[in-house]
Amino acid sequence: MKNIIIGIALTSIAITACNTSPDKNKDAILVNSADVKEVTESPKKDPNVDGAMREMISQYLQIKNALANDNGKDAANAGNAFVESMGKMEKNSLSPEKKKVWDDLSDDAKEMAEHIGKNGDKLAHQREHFDMLSKDMYDMVKTFGASQPLYNDYCPMYNNNKGATWLSETKEIKNPYLGKKMPTCGSVKEEMK
Amino acid sequence: MNWKKKILLSVIAVFIIIQFIQPVHNTSGQVLPADITQTLSVPDNVREIFTKACNDCHSNHTRYPWYVYIQPIGWMMENHIKKGKENLNFSEFGNYSKRKQANKLRSIGISLEDGSMPLYGYTILHQAARLSTEEKKMIIAWVSNTKDSLSKNQYGK
Repeated sequence: MKNIIIGIALTSIAITACNTSPDKNKDAILVNSADVKEVTESPKKDPNVDGAMREMISQYLQIKNALANDNGKDAANAGNAFVESMGKMEKNSLSPEKKKVWDDLSDDAKEMAEHIGKNGDKLAHQREHFDMLSKDMYDMVKTFGASQPLYNDYCPMYNNNKGATWLSETKEIKNPYLGKKMPTCGSVKEEMK
Repeated sequence: MNWKKKILLSVIAVFIIIQFIQPVHNTSGQVLPADITQTLSVPDNVREIFTKACNDCHSNHTRYPWYVYIQPIGWMMENHIKKGKENLNFSEFGNYSKRKQANKLRSIGISLEDGSMPLYGYTILHQAARLSTEEKKMIIAWVSNTKDSLSKNQYGK
């Protein structure tokens, strides 16, 4: 029974995850701009990992806001704090399936956050890693839940028009990839309640 | 002996002394199961470029040309190997999680495209690490295809 539930959960993650593929969504976003929005519900938060997730999400959002303000130093501090919070994850309390997801994502996310932490003077480099960290974070929220509503935003211009996504706590767009140059570029793709 | 001679002699003396401080070599001699060639399907042409231009700093198998026995060139080389392996080690590629593998491939593509790799300062001395446009294209195409197939297998995506 448990396996079936997890199976359904993973499939629904897979389905929403498919929709986040920038290539598939790019055209739709460009045509309909702000209209395209999907409202989804984050999985019920797991009390065992909620503390660590709450911290990680808060630090992730700090990185995001610092990058939107072109402030590499603050992004670096939040990046280092993020790595520390990852260590607080009670991964042994996770089900084997969720632990597998955590191991996969955390191995990657840790390195991304470390790079952001070490490169306070290189905004472009931090943003490159923030792009990859954002995908990890999205999948973490989809797996472990969040204790706050989040928006998955999309910027079609970043990385030579390959596009990139990020999570935000506000509906209003504050673009962390283009920063002060184009702060409002992008659109909300998904509202995760 | 005037002071110019003294300085020259001490420079020579220091140069000779540092020759005795040779870094430990980065050669494990074995291809372990975690090696990228065992983890992913790497076509011969890509593998050849890796061997010629990348593996010296990005794997556990460095080939040591004669000039790295001269210090401080060897020390500089050692520093390159340390940093290179920290960021990407083809010998341990299989130990990275699938997500990390996919992102490593992505980063390889980006660094070749923006020219940050191979390091310009490194290629001045190590000519084998210089890549032609064709070679770069070959790697970029391979990482892009392989990355997509890696992320396809994730969570049923």
